[in-house]
Amino acid sequence: MNFAKLILLIGCTVQLCAQVTEKQLLEQPGANWVHYNGSYDTRRMSTLTQVNTSNVGSLTNKWIFHLPGAGRLQCVPIVVNGVMYVTQPNEVYALDGKSGRMIWDFHHVGPIADRGPNRGVAVYGDKVFVSTPDAELIALNASTGNVIWEVKLAEPEVGYWSPAAPMIVKGKVIVGVAPGDRGLNGFLDAYDPETGKRIWRWDSIPKPGVPGSDTWAGDSWKHAGGNTWLTQSYDAELNLLYWGIGNPSPDFNGDVRMGDNLYTESVVALDPDTAEVKWHFQFTPHDVMDWDAVELPVLVDAMYEGKMRKLMLHADRNGFYYILDRTNGKFLHGSPFVQHLNWASGLSPEGRPIRVPGVEPSMLGTKVCPSSIGATNWMSPSFNFQTGLFYLVALEGCGIASKSTEQFRPGGFQYRATGDVLLRDSSWKVYVRALDMATGKLVWEQERIGSNGLGGGLLSTAGGLLFSGEINGEFIAFAAKSGQILWHFNTGQQINSQPITYAVDGKEYISLSSGGDIFSFALFEPQKAVAK
Amino acid sequence: MKWILAVLLLACAGVTAQAQAIPPKNTLGSGPEVVQAGHTFFNKTCTGCHGVDGGEGGRAPALGGTRRYFRLSEGAIFDAVKNGIPGTGMPNLGLSDDDIWRTVVYIRNIRGVASDSIVQGDAVRGMAVFEGKGGCLQCHMIRSKGGTIGPDLSSIGAQVTLAHLRESLAQEQPIPAGYVPVRVTGPKGEMISGIARNDDAFSIQILDDKNRLHLYDKSDLSSIAYATHSLMPHDFDKKLTPEEFQDLLAMLSRQARTKVHILLERENEAGR
Repeated sequence: MNFAKLILLIGCTVQLCAQVTEKQLLEQPGANWVHYNGSYDTRRMSTLTQVNTSNVGSLTNKWIFHLPGAGRLQCVPIVVNGVMYVTQPNEVYALDGKSGRMIWDFHHVGPIADRGPNRGVAVYGDKVFVSTPDAELIALNASTGNVIWEVKLAEPEVGYWSPAAPMIVKGKVIVGVAPGDRGLNGFLDAYDPETGKRIWRWDSIPKPGVPGSDTWAGDSWKHAGGNTWLTQSYDAELNLLYWGIGNPSPDFNGDVRMGDNLYTESVVALDPDTAEVKWHFQFTPHDVMDWDAVELPVLVDAMYEGKMRKLMLHADRNGFYYILDRTNGKFLHGSPFVQHLNWASGLSPEGRPIRVPGVEPSMLGTKVCPSSIGATNWMSPSFNFQTGLFYLVALEGCGIASKSTEQFRPGGFQYRATGDVLLRDSSWKVYVRALDMATGKLVWEQERIGSNGLGGGLLSTAGGLLFSGEINGEFIAFAAKSGQILWHFNTGQQINSQPITYAVDGKEYISLSSGGDIFSFALFEPQKAVAK
Repeated sequence: MKWILAVLLLACAGVTAQAQAIPPKNTLGSGPEVVQAGHTFFNKTCTGCHGVDGGEGGRAPALGGTRRYFRLSEGAIFDAVKNGIPGTGMPNLGLSDDDIWRTVVYIRNIRGVASDSIVQGDAVRGMAVFEGKGGCLQCHMIRSKGGTIGPDLSSIGAQVTLAHLRESLAQEQPIPAGYVPVRVTGPKGEMISGIARNDDAFSIQILDDKNRLHLYDKSDLSSIAYATHSLMPHDFDKKLTPEEFQDLLAMLSRQARTKVHILLERENEAGR
């Protein structure tokens, strides 16, 4: 019998091989990197130690994979059993994590070719889930890229898209939408991974009669924003899904939407079974600076004021570092993590900002710090349980913010009612900062010299390292404790994504997307390089 | 003054030259009846050189095959039929513009993807053949149902020509890249059989029959053997009745979950 026939015969009893289990989803990242944020707690801290402070100097590039036509990748690779999944809008690639060779590719042909970035996939069972620029959620066979199902999340014609990596929680595919800058109201969906059937939808802007709707004057809730465009956190023990919500619309003119404008600029704790809001905390009530609160909620169990507490750490685009009790949303601490902050003089005992009168967008323009870019943004922070430090990318900078009376227009048009002129003067600087987790005090910082944009996020490893990718293409390893630079590599392209680490056959790799390419690094060893 | 006149004259000459390259408007459209009329006209008029139904002819290229074509647009094909191709045996036959258009529409049709072709047969019965007597479902998936060792056929009608589909079912074809059957012995002595989704001098990525991926450095393998024939049977014209074969062809030609962009549209850019 030739083996072609053998394969066909065995093929009659095809059994699908589960690739990611519920148990794996609950683990801290090691050989696999199965979540956009590495783990449900979003610490972005790997347990791998092979690459560490003593040997990181010999880290070398093992392979590069170019995504055809790509130039500004923002995807975070997902790695399962040595297979890496990477994306650009409308495309998914499965790569061999050791060699970078392509196993399969998937191309979605939809009506929208170019709208926003794509930040990656989720993998669960034997399926890969990806969302698209035309606001679809697609399930693919993880071994071949075959389409298993596709569903429409929203109408792309009115301006919706979906850039975030989906998230798997309790057997559901959780996926959000963008943008909040076109007067389109946000929502968060949960889908059955087997069938693509929608299980629930949670509207981030409460409709009339729903609690929170009284925080919107008149009909302003109708074109209100509040989108859900970044993958967030989950606490399995508390059974709470935490999601940071984007800015209200119009971004810069709050006069037409008086009130606190819930749940924009908030983190909400949802029951993942029912989408019921268990609690919420609003960082910037009635925001007028486009300070989306999608920055990641990092979940840490630690001693706080003499008690073991379940904490949530969050560095907001508005310039404050927050500590919340994640069981109930109670505000525990807040302090600025940037020096250039003039819009609030502090936070009340309940965590509400004490606004400085007049420091807000005006018809003629007003200096507001931070600028609308924010004191940080969607680039991931990280928490290292060895150092007790919270790491983030911080931008010191201000803008001259103005507002107008622009009205909403249907059809996916921008609905910002003006913006700010960024003051890129000598004070405009980007830093990697390490904060004492419990006090928010600065422990060390390194300037991203030559970077005028925020760039990529951070990765901690149990090897005592912190990895950081800069907008100018430098990929850097710091000593997590001291901030000392131990290694760097120039990718030659902008870095706008977060690094990850994984292991195959006992070898640790550090990987990230940069420009149009995926890079993977490992410790140097002489090549076997035997061709067969 | 003379310069201005010269520029004007040159501009007029340019306009004239450009105008000659634009064919008269096709007033017939490209519907099924035009394709049918073009088919009949082609087989009456062109087969002396080009072969029946766009197949291989004795004296001129097959027009419906899979070779690289350099006259792709309607205008370029119209021009070749209308004016002939100087220096070759392709003459100006003095045909009416309408007959040329029928021919052009037919040629474009046989070169187009299967989903744009008119295929006789019952697609519902064709799906029953696919799932039953044909045994295709073991290896191929259509709309999330079926095996994974062969290509997903959910958009096959929008990806290949009708002729290609027919040939794949009835003639042995070269094994496409990514589907070469392979058997290897791994570093722990394990025997793995499957298809090589990727294969180079240094690594190989194998998909086995249980939808599992096996990723190897070649230097870690103690044996590697490739099959010389595709797993795809090529005797469906014998295994199936003519009606079943036609129904299967009709069903496959209509699989167009995704309209795949045809890269060969740009004139003179084919294959580059």
